[in-house]
Amino acid sequence: MALPLFDVTSDPGPSFQNLLKLLNIPLSVPGATDDPIHATTVVALRCDEGVVLVADRQATAQAIAARDMRKIAEADRFTAIAISGTAAAGMEFIRISQLSFEHYEKMMDETLSLEGKSNYLSALIQDVNLGTPFTVLPLVAGFDINHNRGRVFEYDGAGGCYEKDDFGVIGSGTPFAESALRLGYREGLSLTECIELGALAIYEAGDNDPFTGGPDFVRGIFPIVVTVTAKGFVEQPEAETRAIFETINQRRTASKGRAGGDLR
Amino acid sequence: MTMPFYVTPEQQMKDRAEYAQKGIARGRSLIACIYDEGVLLVAENPSASLNKISEIYDRIGFAGVGKYNEFHELRTAGVRWADSTGFRYSREDVDARSLANVYAQYLGTSFTDGGKPLEVEVLVAQLGIRNKPTKIYHIAFEGTITDETRFAVLGGDSETIRTRFIAEGDDVTSLAETLKRAVRALSGPDRSIPAADLEVARLEDLGARRTFSRLSDDLVSQLLAR
Repeated sequence: MALPLFDVTSDPGPSFQNLLKLLNIPLSVPGATDDPIHATTVVALRCDEGVVLVADRQATAQAIAARDMRKIAEADRFTAIAISGTAAAGMEFIRISQLSFEHYEKMMDETLSLEGKSNYLSALIQDVNLGTPFTVLPLVAGFDINHNRGRVFEYDGAGGCYEKDDFGVIGSGTPFAESALRLGYREGLSLTECIELGALAIYEAGDNDPFTGGPDFVRGIFPIVVTVTAKGFVEQPEAETRAIFETINQRRTASKGRAGGDLR
Repeated sequence: MTMPFYVTPEQQMKDRAEYAQKGIARGRSLIACIYDEGVLLVAENPSASLNKISEIYDRIGFAGVGKYNEFHELRTAGVRWADSTGFRYSREDVDARSLANVYAQYLGTSFTDGGKPLEVEVLVAQLGIRNKPTKIYHIAFEGTITDETRFAVLGGDSETIRTRFIAEGDDVTSLAETLKRAVRALSGPDRSIPAADLEVARLEDLGARRTFSRLSDDLVSQLLAR
């Protein structure tokens, strides 16, 4: 490929999306397949130290397509991006977002602000969603280093961006996960409490929504738990994630599967 | 009736080269050298925000001397080239040699035809991995490309600095020692360059995918004092 040089008047600036358009590289593949694979249920909770994200691992078409899918990705050091909806478009979406933020940083020698990132993605969602029959619904959560706090952004299918001051939920397991979060969430939760509540929400979604996978003790596959704080993006080690879900599972076994009472 | 003067092709090229060299000689020089863990890029640059050295890709760094707007354009084109190539194929396929070639092609074409020749010299440094070697590609204003295995000097005073750097020793050594040698070669025996007037960056594997990092003035002072 030749050196991509542009006129001052047609320069794409630091936007990777504009660059791809000018270079005629398609953003996503249009056209329908008979039954695309869907990815579901991610929650993000805000607390004083930052944000916690928990996501199930299942991808579903007519049957389960994957049991170990990763729906949360590190967009950059202080930003996590999660997807639900058509898996193929979602994976592409993550790739383009990661690259866009990195591209901006290299072009400008400065990191894009968290709000800048969330706005940039609105346009990207419109591009990905409105041109194809596939829909991606992302969730962006990160630690805003300019304002020193965790922030969560949810989107609708047309690219509308909504900041949440408590928690955000996406995917088909939303009703169940959100119910758990609504009952359990309060101001001043610690990072550990947020991890436990987020895990419980995903457990509930996995228990009730056929498209959401819960902890898989047989295969040793557990939902992914990520924290983004002033220290940056950290994925919890598998041993710790397993322990959290084992605790929930034991409580649920003791109550013979009943969830009620003291929010277990 | 006036007749245009005939200028031989040799004379034409000579004039253009002289023009470009003069422009390049006006700025300060920079040096890129390989140390035991990676590649170090050191430039004399009093400006803290108008950079001469920057990141192109995971394992590729860029440096330029001469006219700022001209090498800045080459830098952004390089980032665009790398990011779009990596997006289209894979991150592994973004290679410093290919980038050096497109730079050389562009500089060569601008030198022989078109308007004024570019008054820049650039280099592309690559931190090696598996089948890719650690390399420094030096591209001159007329598109000549050289591949250096140990170090490269860019800028007006390059021959003197080159000689001084060779005199410092020809072994590959630690970051601190390499930095000291580079700074001594840039400054010469008669003066010293304060850390604030140095722009220093490196390509080194520190566990992350991206290997480019800038060295702060504090860190540079510390390393120089060691």
